[in-house]
Amino acid sequence: MNNLYFIFLSIIIILYILHSVRKEHLSIKTSFVWILMSVVMLLLSIFPYSINWIAQIIGVEYAPALFLTFCVVFLLILDFNFSNKISKLQEKVTDLAQEVSVLREKNNKDK
Amino acid sequence: MKDKVLIIIPAYNEEKNIEKVLKEIKKDINYADILVINDCSTDNTREIVERNNVKCITNIFNMRYAMAIQTGLKYARDNKYDYVIQMDADGQHIAKEAEKLYHEIKKSKVDIVIGSRYVKEMGYPCPFFRRIGTKMFELLVRLFCHQKIADPLSGFQCLNKKVIEKYSKIGEYPEYPDANLVIEMLLQGYKIKEVPVKMRLRENGTSMHSGIIKPIKYMIEQLYTCIVIFLKNFGKRRVK
Repeated sequence: MNNLYFIFLSIIIILYILHSVRKEHLSIKTSFVWILMSVVMLLLSIFPYSINWIAQIIGVEYAPALFLTFCVVFLLILDFNFSNKISKLQEKVTDLAQEVSVLREKNNKDK
Repeated sequence: MKDKVLIIIPAYNEEKNIEKVLKEIKKDINYADILVINDCSTDNTREIVERNNVKCITNIFNMRYAMAIQTGLKYARDNKYDYVIQMDADGQHIAKEAEKLYHEIKKSKVDIVIGSRYVKEMGYPCPFFRRIGTKMFELLVRLFCHQKIADPLSGFQCLNKKVIEKYSKIGEYPEYPDANLVIEMLLQGYKIKEVPVKMRLRENGTSMHSGIIKPIKYMIEQLYTCIVIFLKNFGKRRVK
């Protein structure tokens, strides 16, 4: 019965992500990873024993620990990915600002 | 009044191909202006373009294919061009065939004309997996929009003023503007037509879809984007 709540929650999350894309609050590209995780969450809610099965294959005794490890690893990868993107964006903003300054100076001279 | 036509060519490290492409365009479509968007090439692309007296916008960092195209579209909008023809810098698109697109868009009064390799057998030596990918997206377009577009992955297109305006305003211009954009435009009520054209294979350099990982990434991204765009536009009021 508890699964029903999680299934419902997963569907709500998927719908909310799609709604955010529709309203252009979230880009299609960024939404991919969130939709992917929501679908995984939905599948785990429908087949809750699948995590036990995976834990058995990998050799983890306590299945919920495996689930939490997956969550932490996912969030770390996501965080690293965002840090990577922020660094690149910072570099590009600097480039743009310098280019604007040079152009402004050139423009003033032409006047 | 004569139409203002602009040919947009995004180029990244195309020093071996660009000169031939520019000369061909100058010879075959002499009434059109040419704009090369040099996407921060590390070779002599820019020098070659300027040596050929062609307008060249150089991005200050590499923004990739789609953003280079959008830069050109913004230029076209600001300079009040009536039509834009998108061509590749690798020599795949033939200038004489571009004229067909322009004549068709004027004749049919549609918004976008796509130069298609597959609407009629034109002898394009297409790799097997690419053909399968194209077929898959053709089916997707037919499923979502109920219109047959045989080559939705073709970047060889002619756009009218309304589309130039629309594309230049898109905040999140797709990284690969192919089937996803075709689906979005059809769902929003824009009219698209295909014209059979001949194309060549690139002579020098490597394609942006070369290798093994890149095409797989492209297919997943394209498939996901098509589905989300369909859901995004589902039930929305059409533009026209």
